[in-house]
Amino acid sequence: MSKLNRRLFLGAAGSVVALSALGRPAFAQGTQIRHFWWGNPERDRRTFAVIDIFNQKNPNITVSGETLGFADYFTKLTTQIAGGNMPDVIQQGYGVLFEYIANGAVVPLDDYVGKSLDISRIDQSAIDAGTVDGKFYALSIGANSHMAIYNTRLYEEAGITIGEGADFDPYGYTYDDLARIGAQIKEATGVAGTEDNTADYQNFSDFIAQKGVAMFNEDGTYGATQEIVEEYWSTWQKTREAGATPAGPESAGLAGVSDLSQLGVVTGKAATSYVWSNQLVGAQGLVEDPLGAAMYPNTPEMIPGSIIQPSQFVCLTRDSVDPEAATAYMSAFINDLDMTGVLGLERGIPSNSDVRAALEPTLSAAEAVSVAFFDAIQGKTAALAPPPPSGSNEVEQTFERVAVSVLLGEKSIPEVAKDFLAQAKAILARA
Amino acid sequence: MEKFFRRNFAGYAFLSPWLIGFFLLAIGPILASLYLSFTKYNIVRPPQWIGLDNFVYMFEFDDRFKKALQVTFTFVVISVPAKLIFALGVAMALDKGIRAIGWYRALFYLPSILGGSIAVAILWRQLFNYDGVINGILRLFGGDGPYWLADPKYSLWTLIVLAVWQFGSPMLTFLAGLRAIPQELYEAAEIDAAGPVRKFFAITVPLLAPVIFFNLVLQMIEAFKSFSGAFIISGGSGAPLDSLLFFTVYLYEEAFSYLRMGYASALAWVLLVIIAAFTAIAFWTSKYWVHYENERG
Repeated sequence: MSKLNRRLFLGAAGSVVALSALGRPAFAQGTQIRHFWWGNPERDRRTFAVIDIFNQKNPNITVSGETLGFADYFTKLTTQIAGGNMPDVIQQGYGVLFEYIANGAVVPLDDYVGKSLDISRIDQSAIDAGTVDGKFYALSIGANSHMAIYNTRLYEEAGITIGEGADFDPYGYTYDDLARIGAQIKEATGVAGTEDNTADYQNFSDFIAQKGVAMFNEDGTYGATQEIVEEYWSTWQKTREAGATPAGPESAGLAGVSDLSQLGVVTGKAATSYVWSNQLVGAQGLVEDPLGAAMYPNTPEMIPGSIIQPSQFVCLTRDSVDPEAATAYMSAFINDLDMTGVLGLERGIPSNSDVRAALEPTLSAAEAVSVAFFDAIQGKTAALAPPPPSGSNEVEQTFERVAVSVLLGEKSIPEVAKDFLAQAKAILARA
Repeated sequence: MEKFFRRNFAGYAFLSPWLIGFFLLAIGPILASLYLSFTKYNIVRPPQWIGLDNFVYMFEFDDRFKKALQVTFTFVVISVPAKLIFALGVAMALDKGIRAIGWYRALFYLPSILGGSIAVAILWRQLFNYDGVINGILRLFGGDGPYWLADPKYSLWTLIVLAVWQFGSPMLTFLAGLRAIPQELYEAAEIDAAGPVRKFFAITVPLLAPVIFFNLVLQMIEAFKSFSGAFIISGGSGAPLDSLLFFTVYLYEEAFSYLRMGYASALAWVLLVIIAAFTAIAFWTSKYWVHYENERG
């Protein structure tokens, strides 16, 4: 059976189901569009509500939503690529997007811009971020940055004042400050002040920038040196030894885990966790105490490390049944005020200026924290690096894996650092 | 030929759903995977023929491949005998004719039905967490349990225990085997003043040898292919420190995390050869210790 035949068959079968379910004439149903994203309960709830709004406004297009946790998302997408049945619209992140583009799984949007797809009110920086070799591939939903989220009640209980010049300056504190404050919180509340980022690649990537080095050199080789890797792990070792973090083996058990429900601030095992800024809203949904937002810690030199980058993109896939309808849906997803009103800031600060203005009066407490965070970090972040080369994803997972032996004290830091860099080199050479 | 066809048509017709499924869903993918093992294939791009490169890389440069073999062999060598001994022990206890034996059989078999499921693996993760039930019990007795899952020294043991816990299916086979041993032999041995140990090694084990052999081969193959427990407990990556990097977990990671389908196919064929070799060895050695009643020797 050819692809086309199966599509027609599935489309027809879908129409029959829709017909029996809704009692409408089959042919008035028109096109079926599938939207697939990775999510959390909060995001899923909002996105399904958005889809309902779209379906009501566009009776001739039926969008159906599919969602999975981040850990399983790309696995499923991979099998769908193999089967030639990727959903029409998929969510992508800055990390892996470029591998999908390079491999042709995601197709350019240029033909639809100005027709079914309206990007006239999208920030130029967001459009640039989704453009590769002069072709526009990926529609940025919102902006994102690295964020430390902290339990304000625990900070308060430990008597830590917050603000510029206070004990804890959320936009200008060092690793030494963190070790000190973290230990103080542990002392006062019994909860570790901060999670241990020894195996956290996001933090490590900031640290590389804070050392004034690019993560990938011009020629695609890895930028971090033996000294930088050693210093990073030693810094966290000092924090651990100061008593500011959970025990090493406990952190080791969480290496590479990306579930919001496993965050220290959510499980109550740490007062500070480290996330992407758009995850604040989802995390706050799981915690009663109000969460505060801060940048990642810095070195005494205070060189910017975090970047502002697109949080997520919506992309059109090679397998889309009806690109016209799919791009119309994508367009509404980032422009329609009713739909974006439901999405709020859960996928980052919207790239459409009108949407931002419309959202302002309706923000929840967590969303307001998020907006204030973005205002505060302007000018304090590093420039967006070029897209990572292929293999970078594997380097990241290797980092998380080998860092566990630092947490368990199995090998010396210099040994593990040497091992990691050797593996990173091999991965990039093989990719 | 025509006669053959006419005579067997109905049979083949009734078999056809299975035959079609077999050729389309089994033979087809097997041949495709053999072909892909000689290619570089990332799913999106067409496969690219690279000859033996995947295998050369695997044996010469791939340290994680070696680690995966080591983990898998350790698991097989420890979990299979442990499970069989445990299963035999329980079967012998049940064979003594306790009341409500059917109920016990069902109860002991239950873990084997649930065993491969994701839910049980997640449950296992909860049990062995640092704050989990196992350490809670240890704390009751004043001990402080280790980080079972985060410490590579212990993580594999939690999976071995999980495997042994699923002793139900070999246990049932043992039970059937034990029932088939004539009681007169034991009675005769008792008259000759044989103790329980002597009876076990002189009567039970030799007469049960075919069943032991059957269970050994089946459980060994199962253990080599074991996946879901390690996958769930290690979060899909073989963590901590690759101590749970079962061969199948590594294969999955190469295929679905790094999109190296060609390499993953090559890994799958290596696993097939390993399992075939071990099964062949088991059959070859069985000549020396497995005797069947109807054999003339």
